[in-house]
Amino acid sequence: MAEFTIAVAKGRTADHSIRLLNSMGVTFEQLTPFSRKLVFYSSDETIRLIFVKAMDVPTYVEKGAADLGIVGKDNILESQADIYEVLDLKIGTCKFAVAGKPGQQLDAFQSLTIATKYPTVTRNYFSRKGKPIEIVKLNGSVELAPLIGLADVIVDIVETGNTLKENGLVVLEQVESISTRLIVNKASFALKSLAIQSFINTFKQSLEESTWNA
Amino acid sequence: MQPSLQTSCWGNKLLQQRDELLSILKQRVKTYGYKQIQTAAFETYDLYAANPKIVNTDDMVKIMDTSGKVLVLRPDATIPITQQIAANQVNVNDDVRLFYIMDVFGYRFENEQKQRTQAGVEYFTSRTPTADAEVIALAIHILKDCGFPTFKFEIGHAGFFRALIAQANLADDQIAPLQTFIQTKNIAEMAEYLATLPIDETLKQAMQHIPFLYGEPNQVMEEIKQHGLNGMVQTELNYLIDVYDSIQAYELTDQIVFNLGLINDMDYYSDVIFQGFVNQAGKPVVMGGRYDRLGDRFGAHIPAIGFAFDVDLLFTAAKQHGLVKRLSLDEPITIYYDFQKQKEALAIALQLREQGYAVISYLKQNDLQTIPEMGEQIHYGADQPTLYQNGRAYPFLDVSDLVKLLQERGN
Repeated sequence: MAEFTIAVAKGRTADHSIRLLNSMGVTFEQLTPFSRKLVFYSSDETIRLIFVKAMDVPTYVEKGAADLGIVGKDNILESQADIYEVLDLKIGTCKFAVAGKPGQQLDAFQSLTIATKYPTVTRNYFSRKGKPIEIVKLNGSVELAPLIGLADVIVDIVETGNTLKENGLVVLEQVESISTRLIVNKASFALKSLAIQSFINTFKQSLEESTWNA
Repeated sequence: MQPSLQTSCWGNKLLQQRDELLSILKQRVKTYGYKQIQTAAFETYDLYAANPKIVNTDDMVKIMDTSGKVLVLRPDATIPITQQIAANQVNVNDDVRLFYIMDVFGYRFENEQKQRTQAGVEYFTSRTPTADAEVIALAIHILKDCGFPTFKFEIGHAGFFRALIAQANLADDQIAPLQTFIQTKNIAEMAEYLATLPIDETLKQAMQHIPFLYGEPNQVMEEIKQHGLNGMVQTELNYLIDVYDSIQAYELTDQIVFNLGLINDMDYYSDVIFQGFVNQAGKPVVMGGRYDRLGDRFGAHIPAIGFAFDVDLLFTAAKQHGLVKRLSLDEPITIYYDFQKQKEALAIALQLREQGYAVISYLKQNDLQTIPEMGEQIHYGADQPTLYQNGRAYPFLDVSDLVKLLQERGN
């Protein structure tokens, strides 16, 4: 019986998290780069690792299907999950930004039509600014929307800006900084307080050491 | 649209089970001397709109009556109950104990109906550690009655954060992000945000420790001393310790941790606040605290403490823990009788009901008897009266004989 469950998204976040866990002495023998399994136990069987879609990590943690999760701030903001956000892993850093064609003035629009994968983040940002907007929810290739007239601008995560550049778009406004976080279910924090707090502390230490060596 | 429990059709098994859970709650609060209260579902908008606002007015479900007056659907239970108590000129020394099971409404609720059922208590009494400990003990007692194997109560103090922040001299919109960072234990962003604020360095340091003032009470108190926080909030801390000592008398301290980063979104809390968690539910199933100044808004100084269970969340958690199966669910016993035996059959139906059994009776239309494979039937015909249980026949003589048979299968 595992002491607790960690939900992570497959890909870069998972690779990095597993390296950190390994440096803490937590190893997953059955985990290989080509494995299609979704559930793994650590060698001492104290930790269960589950692979879920990044957008679903906050939901798994909020509902208690996982005690901890490692996920980007973008997905935390979008899900509005009620969880603890205890550590910033300082990886996967990028920004939420409003992007559009060069020279576009957001204030010039009476009402903006915005294409995005993140409707909640977009709505919250523009309602704080008191700007009326209409949202077009897309699931990918968001950069295409302003080019073919589906939307005036987009709200998306921007890492290097290369995708924007290649599609002739520029950042018009920065919305918020994003990085990978360690999140915790509130009930787990209360009920498994000692185990989880000591896990967080060791995780934090190995995180600091890894940035030290980098 | 997902059908909700409140509106789902009659005879729904879940609805019966939820009702059983509510009766456990009801039974327990009665044993602590609480009396039930009910308030109107429609209330005047003005009750909540007066400044400073007690609830988020945007979130309330509003309706206009025929004269153009704006009404709202009850957004909270504690506020209207306190108003009633104030209007009835209840004295502080009256020691009023009330409980309620009421729906509250708001657009924030994720279900389609925009409503949640709350079951809670309000104890109008002066602030004493013993009164506060009793109310917390009652909340714990209820979770035990429901059968949850493990749970934890976090206890904090509404005045703790307030006392610290008061020294910083910040505007409300500067405080709001800080509050969110503390509630989500988000130290990383909190540090960045604090750096932008024009406040004293010692206070900044103190603020950053708040989210992790969490755990076993003595250890939390030790940390507070180490960080030099105690000088700023000594009165609040002393009171918390007194409440904790009182809870120790109930031998319930295993289930208790201190959480000084606990901040309740309801602004009316003034002193001790608490919330209870069960495994897997990410949100607290019960929340509460002391609100000594809410009565003042309605022109009466009546200090009080209370809590509310989120009934739907509690029920979902009980289902996940397999606890609802253990709730007794009486399937009715069916009696079929010949016209000549009507009197005897109805007499026995009545006697069974007196003993708490659910009974349905029918006049037999023809002689064809279909014996069900499951459940219970009683036949009153020309032969000896017979109980059929899961397909097997048990003839009986009288009601005491029958009850014995029914009890044997029950065990």
